Amino acid sequence: MLVGACPRLQAVDVSHCYQFGDREAAALSCAAELREIKMDKCLRLTDVGLAKIAVRCEKLEKVSLKWCLEITDLGIDLLSKKCHRLKHLSVSYLKISDESLRSISSLQKLEVLLMVGCGLVGDEGLHFLGNGCPSLQVLDVSRCEHVSSAGLFSVTRGCKGLQKLNAGYYFLELSTTVFQNFKDLKHLKTIRVDGARVNDSFFQIISNNCLFLVEVGLSKCEGVNDAGVMQLAYGHPELKLLDLTCCNDLTDMAISAIAHSCTKLVCLKLESCSLLTEKSFSFLGSSCVLLEELDLTECCVNDKGLEYLSKCVELQCLRLGVCTDISGKGLSYIASNCKNLKELDLYRCLNVGDDGLGFIASGCKKIRKLNLCYCTKITDIGMIYLSQLEELSDLEMRSLLKVTSAGLTALASGCRKLSELDIKHCGNIGDVGFWSLAYHSWNLQQINISLCGVSDAGLCMIMSNLTRLQDVKLVNLTKVSARGYELALRASCRRLKKVKVLASLKPLLSVELLEALGASGCRIRWD
Amino acid sequence: MEEKIHQLQELVRLTAAKPQALIQQHQQLVTADLTSIIIQLISTAGSLLPSVNHPAAPIPNLSFANGVNVPDNTNMVSKVEDHSDHLDDDVDEGENLPPGSYEILQLEKEEILAPHTHFCLICGKGFKRDANLRMHMRGHGDEYKTPAALAKPHKETPKLVKRYSCPYVGCKRNKNHKKFQPLKTILCVKNHYKRSHCDKSYTCSRCNTKKFSVIADLKTHEKHCGRDRWLCSCGTTFSRKDKLFGHISLFQGHTPAIPFDEPNQSNTANTDTNVQGFGFFDFSSCGSGEPSACFSPFPRNLFEESDSLSFLLSGSANYMWKNGGESSSKDLQ
Repeated sequence: MLVGACPRLQAVDVSHCYQFGDREAAALSCAAELREIKMDKCLRLTDVGLAKIAVRCEKLEKVSLKWCLEITDLGIDLLSKKCHRLKHLSVSYLKISDESLRSISSLQKLEVLLMVGCGLVGDEGLHFLGNGCPSLQVLDVSRCEHVSSAGLFSVTRGCKGLQKLNAGYYFLELSTTVFQNFKDLKHLKTIRVDGARVNDSFFQIISNNCLFLVEVGLSKCEGVNDAGVMQLAYGHPELKLLDLTCCNDLTDMAISAIAHSCTKLVCLKLESCSLLTEKSFSFLGSSCVLLEELDLTECCVNDKGLEYLSKCVELQCLRLGVCTDISGKGLSYIASNCKNLKELDLYRCLNVGDDGLGFIASGCKKIRKLNLCYCTKITDIGMIYLSQLEELSDLEMRSLLKVTSAGLTALASGCRKLSELDIKHCGNIGDVGFWSLAYHSWNLQQINISLCGVSDAGLCMIMSNLTRLQDVKLVNLTKVSARGYELALRASCRRLKKVKVLASLKPLLSVELLEALGASGCRIRWD
Repeated sequence: MEEKIHQLQELVRLTAAKPQALIQQHQQLVTADLTSIIIQLISTAGSLLPSVNHPAAPIPNLSFANGVNVPDNTNMVSKVEDHSDHLDDDVDEGENLPPGSYEILQLEKEEILAPHTHFCLICGKGFKRDANLRMHMRGHGDEYKTPAALAKPHKETPKLVKRYSCPYVGCKRNKNHKKFQPLKTILCVKNHYKRSHCDKSYTCSRCNTKKFSVIADLKTHEKHCGRDRWLCSCGTTFSRKDKLFGHISLFQGHTPAIPFDEPNQSNTANTDTNVQGFGFFDFSSCGSGEPSACFSPFPRNLFEESDSLSFLLSGSANYMWKNGGESSSKDLQ
């Protein structure tokens, strides 16, 4: 019907439509003008449906088949033979083999190829790729288990026009011999080698040859030291993204270099770089004023550090997990300066209390995502502050034992856009709180209320009233009986997509219920 | 042959009348003619020999084209000819009969197509096999119930290797064809003739497409019909998926077809358009179809009954059910 009505349809996205299968694909294939089609995680799509689309939609330029697990080499081969104009193709996580890559290599116009996690692809496949795809600019080959350094060598040697390369999680396979090839990748703008072992020669090659680098990913790499980072920083003053997650040998020296050279930095990830001190944060605060995303999880940030960092007024996402020295005082600086803050992660920041939340709530009005798990000092007062955050949609607050029904009620009535909520282990929230949730929070899609004090009535209210709920974790609700579970799940069985409950509940639930859940595509995890 | 004998007789009389004017050429002509006549006599006699031994030779009730007045055997005998090597691929099982070592028989079309070839002399009933006829004869008297009468007639003379020719002119199995390939038995002749030179009057009831002229062929087909799961939009079926895809990649416009009778059909968009040939869904003329109901409304069944929860509300106040005028609205984005 859609296709009949829109004969000039050019782009369609049916990702995650679990019922989208071959027949639907056949219907879609009538749109001969289609240029783009995204079918991520359409688990029912098989080679037959893909073939129909490939044959009839000759003008296709962008196709995404990520997670379409039924697709095999045959389908990809046909796609490659029929759609000569393909520029962008994603086959990530598919069970395809080297043969598919043989076919893909023949696509003359292919510019972007995403093949993350293709476990059956080996070096031979990458060899084909290295010898084909003359227009390839973007390549993501991370996490392909059977690929070794030989394959990576072929691909880095053959695809000279590469601008973006993600060769993450190859560990020792990404060796010096492969790095040598980077000398010829003159156009590289983005390079990700997460998990690799690097050394000085790597940094040298990069700095001397890949002069246009703008994004560098060295997450969990071994051998990243101050010298290397300094060389990188001074060699690439245009850097915008730098991922140094778990590069825990780095000290203030490295950060100093980054701050002084890479003033255009937009995203910096330093999780677990625990040797850093306040000095680093002062460097960053004074120089990298364009920073939008900053990850300092486990970096021992304190209030003084936050004072320095608050000068990065463009911050949108700030991660401060496990920084136990932070308190309300530090947050006040952030709140007064970083008005664009949308995401704040204070996971296990034990010293954050109600006052901190007060500052945040008054200063950072745009906050959408907030993590306060295990910030046990927070009480109902903090919740009342939070209720002022009208944009709040994703809240995690596990184990806040001082929060009671009053707090949850306040939160529910204030944060109307709340769609994801995790209150696992908040043992002191009673039924009244859950009734409020059921009454107010119509936008909730995902909840984790495991180990909470909700009763049969409260659970049933939530499950029947909150019509947008799709993902629920209801593990170990001690006050809910088997009957309560049965009724609650029955009330919502058509809408639910994911349910997590204790395994011991399985024999107590009715067969019809389990069947109904299965029929509507719901996945049950038995804990 | 009679004609030839008469001719020769004339010639001999002529030469006998004028002994002086006997020319070399005439002599040669006469000898040649005489030789050919002798050869023909011998071969005719040879073919007639078996039928002389036959006690109850069948008398076909159809007329025949040849004019030779042979009493029982209606086979027309042709000369043993010299055949060149057969290099064609469909030689019968690669047999190598040296040329000249076998004789060739050719049945007429009517006899090939005749359903019955053995006839009871007493009542005229027809049978396909001689063994069937012998069984039937038991009903005509005790003398036919002896083991001797029931046994297969033993042929005393070792027969020459026989091969058969198809009477259809131009057929590769016809003895006059340049690349003649003989058929091995009468059954082969029958099957060949029906398959190649007759209409195919039997149709497979399953696929309604394949036609056959021989019933046995139809039965063999029915064993395998419908086994191919892989269908192309052009109608060709394949037993394997990779064969189908190989076919599709070769041609423009061919797509795989989805068979009609699939167990799990999606229940949301069930557009019911044309059903072609084998009865598979083909959305090629999607625009014209009129889907009856795209989205089936959720049927209200036991699972969605809110009444079942009413017992829970008995204790509490009307907290939840005053949704109407309250500030909380469902229409948040």
